[in-house]
Amino acid sequence: MRRFLFSQTSCSLLRRQRRPKDIPHRWFISSTSFSTAEYEDGDAFQNSPSKVKIFDRHLKRTQRARAAWLLRPNDSFVHAVAENLVDRLEDCKKTFPTALCLGGSLQAVRQMLRGRGAIQKFIMMDTSYDMLKLCKSSQRDSDNENIETSYVVGDEEFLAIKESSVDLVISCLGLHWTNDLPGAMIQCKLALKPDGLFLAAILGGETLKELRIACTVAQMEREGGISPRVSPLAQVRDAGNLLTRAGFALPGVDVDEYVVRYNSALDLIEHLRAMGETNALLQRTNILKRETALATAAIYDSMFAAEDGTIPATFQVIYMTGWREHPSQQKSKRRGSATISFKDIQKQFGNGS
Amino acid sequence: MVRLSKWLLKAGTGVNKTLSEILVCPLSKQALRVCEEPPSLISDSIGVSFPMKDGIPCLVPTDGKILDTDDTMKHDNAADDSANNK
Repeated sequence: MRRFLFSQTSCSLLRRQRRPKDIPHRWFISSTSFSTAEYEDGDAFQNSPSKVKIFDRHLKRTQRARAAWLLRPNDSFVHAVAENLVDRLEDCKKTFPTALCLGGSLQAVRQMLRGRGAIQKFIMMDTSYDMLKLCKSSQRDSDNENIETSYVVGDEEFLAIKESSVDLVISCLGLHWTNDLPGAMIQCKLALKPDGLFLAAILGGETLKELRIACTVAQMEREGGISPRVSPLAQVRDAGNLLTRAGFALPGVDVDEYVVRYNSALDLIEHLRAMGETNALLQRTNILKRETALATAAIYDSMFAAEDGTIPATFQVIYMTGWREHPSQQKSKRRGSATISFKDIQKQFGNGS
Repeated sequence: MVRLSKWLLKAGTGVNKTLSEILVCPLSKQALRVCEEPPSLISDSIGVSFPMKDGIPCLVPTDGKILDTDDTMKHDNAADDSANNK
């Protein structure tokens, strides 16, 4: 990551002139504005919601429709994340009769549910109609629980759900493609009933760091510049800010790193396509030269390959938990309302030690 | 009339009860009205109709069609609307 930023600044020092109409140099303009967009993404948490458009939502919709056709039924990574997310429902005594599932790996969540959380009504929402069709048809084949499933095509940034109407909102690997993540989370919070739970799993900043490095090095060698190939992802420190900014009570964040092994870099790209996680940045170049692609695969292999020839790819998943406030939730007491002092505690336990 | 409504139910054009209670317009957050022919959900507050395919409502702002006052449908990018409203 640091190497990427360093090569950015060296590029901008060498070339001062902007030639917006010249296509071969378009990549250069996109890379400088990419760096500011990356910082702007971080600063957006302090300022008012920025209207910066990082992702092409329309393209993401098309990619998800394609992913619906390429979907692998037993994708171990996606199932592991969904399992981890849904397992958190077992930690609560509360039941969640109505649940909403937003984009990402809908089918995996549905499969991993297995009666946890006592869900009776399950609403699946996705931007792509084909993905919902796939879930609907696979649901018909293997229905063993009495859960009433409904399907809606909708956008996470414009949530079409009435206020205080669902008990649980789950999003498994879907929210990292929203342009306005704080806004989307605020809308999720509003859709929740008081004492409702918000569970989300998003990809973190360390994801695909090997691919980032390999892409950057290959592009620097072959094309003499860089264009964004991996999207800006949230950092763990920002996840907590996101939850408090959206107004969730009792926020909780934890991180998990999954290292998935592939036979070659091209297998990794195929897997990303099947998950619908391919590049949808607005400032991407549509051109990928064959040489650059092969160079990336070769560099990835030479830099990161293990002894048995497989290459690792890191996926850092950030799990976020938040509740909508309710009088029954624990709150810190008012200042000055303490009845026991530390001296008393020391007297109590100091005698023993 | 009974036969017509039976046919409509078979075609699955209705929205099921759970969704009809929960869904609102994605842009104005006001209630939606169900329209049978063509199957769609209409948001009266902003005059946009959202299509419904096979009983699955499509509530993405770019899918919405703006309804003219004299009932002719014009295809428009309703997402621009929301950018202006917000």
